[in-house]
Amino acid sequence: MKLFATYRVLALLVGVLLAFCSLVAMPLKYLAADGGTWQRFGEQASILWVAHGWVFMIYVVVAFALSRKAGWSIAFTLVALVAGLVPLLIFWVERQVVRKVRDENPELTSSEPTGAVSS
Amino acid sequence: MPRTLNGVTSAFAPRLWGGHLLALLLVAATLALGWWQYSAYQAQRAAESRDLTHAAAKPLTSVMGGNDPFPGNEVGQPITATGTWVGGGTVFVSGREHGGREGYWVVTPLAIGTPDGSALPIVRGWVASLADAPPPPSGTATVQGWLQPTDGTGEVDTDRSDDVIPQVRTADLIQHVDQDLYDAYAVLDLSAVRADGEPDDARGLVQADLAELPPPAGGTGLRNLLYAIEWVFFAAFVGYVWWRWVQERIQEVSTVAA
Repeated sequence: MKLFATYRVLALLVGVLLAFCSLVAMPLKYLAADGGTWQRFGEQASILWVAHGWVFMIYVVVAFALSRKAGWSIAFTLVALVAGLVPLLIFWVERQVVRKVRDENPELTSSEPTGAVSS
Repeated sequence: MPRTLNGVTSAFAPRLWGGHLLALLLVAATLALGWWQYSAYQAQRAAESRDLTHAAAKPLTSVMGGNDPFPGNEVGQPITATGTWVGGGTVFVSGREHGGREGYWVVTPLAIGTPDGSALPIVRGWVASLADAPPPPSGTATVQGWLQPTDGTGEVDTDRSDDVIPQVRTADLIQHVDQDLYDAYAVLDLSAVRADGEPDDARGLVQADLAELPPPAGGTGLRNLLYAIEWVFFAAFVGYVWWRWVQERIQEVSTVAA
């Protein structure tokens, strides 16, 4: 099943973009010396917020599809979706998702060694 | 194994109302955010259009010649033009709004270069009624204004005997002058005219509003537009999750009942 692998790639991408935008670009844009090289860099890099938004859009769809396939609770699903909006949270959530899917729905990880045995 | 009956048989069951309400609120919120971003996108483009009208003025001769078609990328470009007023060719364009009132544009052609050269119709200003119009200017002048493409609404001049025409169209204007006309007109910058005193021919005139503002660059406000699309998408996604949620609640009942 490709859904699980897609989810992991998107989670990583969303996480990196969000961390960069909120922890690097935004502080530089607002805190660096006005008009300086760093401030301008922060301002230009802010365009990545748009990239984050669009990747997050796809992430939400894929995460929701995975959630329904794996039969997650509403609460866990919500945490998985919202994780893409809280800096750094998604890296931890992704670990939880990987563990949960491997434990409860190994058939969704068929591209991995553990899944290959069972299928 | 006994399991709690969590499901319902109808999407309208009272126990789902809380979820329905939440879903409606979320859809409304996402659509509102989308609308907000779309408004910001439009506001940015409008602001840039206004900014472009404050660009440095170019000489008319470097923007277009008397026989050239209108340069499409120069709408609203500030220009300067030097020539001779053709006072006898003054006309009034009816049905022009300013500040919510209908009035007239006072238009006098300016023969560019030589007195018999091609003339550029100059909108000298706006008046509420024809009686307010100042006398036409005469002699030579250098004017500053904004270049505009001529109108093409197809409205017909119903009374060809007077000096009132329904639109700034070359075919109508040409009846009132003896020379060629530019395929364009300019809206006079009255603040430049009044920079040192009020000339007689500007008395009582109100700055005419530009019919067409310069187009903003393609990328202007793009971020806001992209965010707007995202919000609409999220609204659709909330709707989808809502539908899935109702489906699953109903299915639970049939699974338990089976």
